[in-house]
Amino acid sequence: MRALETLSGLRVVASPEALDGARWSEGTIVLRFAPDDAFVPGAAEIQVTDDHVIVVRESGFVGAWLTADQLAEWVLPHIEWPMPEGRPALAQGLIAGVPAKLWLDDDRALLLCAAAYAYELADRLG
Amino acid sequence: MTGVGRIVLDGRPIPYEAGDSVAVAVMRAGEHPHHGGTICLAGDCGNCVAEVDGVAYVRTCQTPARPGLVIQRHPAVGAPPLRAAAQIDVTNPPPTRHIPVQRSEAEVVVIGAGESGTAAAAGARRMGRSVTVLDARDGMEAVAIYAGPTVIVRTPDGMLHIHAEEVVVATGAAELHPVCPGNSLVGLVTARAAEQLHTAGVDLGVAVAIGSAPGGVPCTPVAGSLRRIEGDGRVSAVVTVDDDDGDGERTTACDTVILGLGRAARDVLSRMAEDLPVSAVGPAAESFPLPAAPTAGTVCPCSRVNVEDLASVWERGFQELELVKRATLAGTGTCQGSVCLPHVRAWIAERSGEIPEPFTARPASRQITLAEAAAGVHVDAFRRTALHDEHVALGARMDRFGGWWRPWHYGDHVAEYWAVREGVSLGDVSTLGKLLVSGPDVVEFLERLYPMGVADIRVGRSRYALLLDEGGHLIDDGMILREAETRFVLTFTSAGAGHAEMWVRDWIDTWGLRVHVLDRTMSLAAINVTGPLAGRLLERIGLPSPPHFLQHVHADICGVPCHVMRLSFTGEMSFELHHPVDRSVELWRALLAHGRDLGIAPHGLQALQGLRLEKGHVIVGMDTELDSTPRRLGMEWAVRMDKADFVGRNALARTGGLPDQRRLVGLTMPGSAPTEGSPIRSDREIVGQVSSSFTSPVLGHAVMLGWLRRTPFPDTVEVDGRPASVVKPPFYDPEGSRARA
Repeated sequence: MRALETLSGLRVVASPEALDGARWSEGTIVLRFAPDDAFVPGAAEIQVTDDHVIVVRESGFVGAWLTADQLAEWVLPHIEWPMPEGRPALAQGLIAGVPAKLWLDDDRALLLCAAAYAYELADRLG
Repeated sequence: MTGVGRIVLDGRPIPYEAGDSVAVAVMRAGEHPHHGGTICLAGDCGNCVAEVDGVAYVRTCQTPARPGLVIQRHPAVGAPPLRAAAQIDVTNPPPTRHIPVQRSEAEVVVIGAGESGTAAAAGARRMGRSVTVLDARDGMEAVAIYAGPTVIVRTPDGMLHIHAEEVVVATGAAELHPVCPGNSLVGLVTARAAEQLHTAGVDLGVAVAIGSAPGGVPCTPVAGSLRRIEGDGRVSAVVTVDDDDGDGERTTACDTVILGLGRAARDVLSRMAEDLPVSAVGPAAESFPLPAAPTAGTVCPCSRVNVEDLASVWERGFQELELVKRATLAGTGTCQGSVCLPHVRAWIAERSGEIPEPFTARPASRQITLAEAAAGVHVDAFRRTALHDEHVALGARMDRFGGWWRPWHYGDHVAEYWAVREGVSLGDVSTLGKLLVSGPDVVEFLERLYPMGVADIRVGRSRYALLLDEGGHLIDDGMILREAETRFVLTFTSAGAGHAEMWVRDWIDTWGLRVHVLDRTMSLAAINVTGPLAGRLLERIGLPSPPHFLQHVHADICGVPCHVMRLSFTGEMSFELHHPVDRSVELWRALLAHGRDLGIAPHGLQALQGLRLEKGHVIVGMDTELDSTPRRLGMEWAVRMDKADFVGRNALARTGGLPDQRRLVGLTMPGSAPTEGSPIRSDREIVGQVSSSFTSPVLGHAVMLGWLRRTPFPDTVEVDGRPASVVKPPFYDPEGSRARA
């Protein structure tokens, strides 16, 4: 299993409508954890229309980019829930019993979890 | 001794032939795989279970014989020994076998590849559906169906969990066993077992058949109904009576009794899957006639329940099938009712006049090992703070608290205590719950949520707060810190943080208020800099004017952006530095380096628990109970009943005037602290218990928090056989001058 490294970016909590219309830095991946909650690794700025938006620097997640083969070999055997069919997609749930998330693209995936779970996840995935 | 190979039975080798199961090989050797009872060779009963290669309760009829297999028969009475517990060193358990688990998905799973299963599978395939067929004879043994539906399968390669859209149970029917005196003897086989044994070339001796005789097996049919079986250990004769008049016993000498008494649906898997897309087909779905109600003999060989046991519990009022099951344990053993259920139903039907439905079936239908049951199951994941490795490097003894690994001590909790009381110390409080809330309705929300005032907290100030449920019971506590007019930070206990976040979100949704919530518990680390020299340390490293008590500021400390909160849980001047987790090690090391000449040292939870106890601070869940109200805790000062409303207010208003016999109090006594949980006695009666205790180094005696449950609350009590005084906490610095310094 590849090492999990800190993912720094912006964490944004705003109304779902505001997040739908938000403008992000070019080329960033928006991980929409919830309708009102997004994490954008690598992002430096955001434009969002919500007077009470919460925007903070986020460094509480760690992750690793995986190829499709690595995903199949290292991660999928430890997942009990069905994968989303569309791409790109964000999937969230227990992986090897550890709360984690997967951002799935056509030919690669980002495995991430809270830094506090990094040791357990890496240890369980071998 | 001939045969294609040998297995070991109770320490001696016996041969087996090609295609033999262990049970057949044992019977070929003239033995019984257990100690008696009818053999079905179909996996339906528990009469052939034995220990196989160290695993107990294995159905030997379903276990192919192979060279060197070691069979140890279970004791005739009692359970087989638990090997892990029988060894001398129980702290060093034997190596276990890792059972892998595979998961797959299927549109249709058909359990059973017999006639009805094959037909069901073909029908599903004709409809264009993908079908997975499982059959124990192919090594794919379905042992459970859970919601989903998920079929749990034992395979030669480990466990298989199949998520299916539909499950078809085509497991056929099991043969009835006899219930009569003598039904535990050796020499009883069902008709299908007799056919298998005959085909395998096993000599049955002089065989008689009761009921439907098996095809092709040399035996003498005996007419009439089975009355009893005679013999001393082994069958020597069978006694029948004429079906027409019930009189005139006829005794027939024999070596083997072949029993064709009827069948019962093998439906345990479908019965454990009610309300799921699981159906039964073929004999598994049939309603077979029940046998005659038994009058004597063993009904449930697995749990050794006889007809007299059924009558005994019936007379005591257990007159429903589920109650009879629980009172006698019939149906709870190895075969899960496959043998006894038809007979118990018949027995109850004769008494009640109604045929009861079969009792509930629950996973697993077959004996599986703990390793098989646990395959693919993970223990809870405990979180590590960003400082975990720093603690370990400093010699900390780490332990699990509130879902986290935390340092209990660094080798000398008393020295850690004095570092806080007299110098400066660091504590890792990263585990505290931390929510950021913002929105136009946030003040209204917090006023409704908390029992104390929120609107009057000025920006840059904070306030201690209780979190109550609708019953007015304490569920958590923490701080409210105002960052802006419509933006607050809320902190919670480490163990309560997860529930508190759900609690907050649930009330926002319930009230329909415009409040955003961001849980920063695992994004922000926190280091508590505490002790009379804490302010001096912070002045050195970027905070020339540290905030006053209950104030908070944002500042860079050693180059790390921190939210600095001036609080106190230890009773000394304390600054919590909340900062990004990826900068925590850097900050920790810088603080230790800059405080070296001040004698800085980290403290663990053991010291912290004593420090806070001297101040009388409660730990939710340790000093509180599920129904602890502010009044019982002596914390009514943290509740503003003049507020129009808050969660729990109605309950507090309703109960506030009622007498209450429970109170959390402070206790002191000379000497060392008694064990937490010690009973508190008054007039020789137990009137409460100690919830926290500590031998206070600074006070030189024991201090405690404890619950009293009897009024009038006494002034003196007895704990650990010693007199103790009931006092009002805090025990140390009651004016709070040190925390406010």
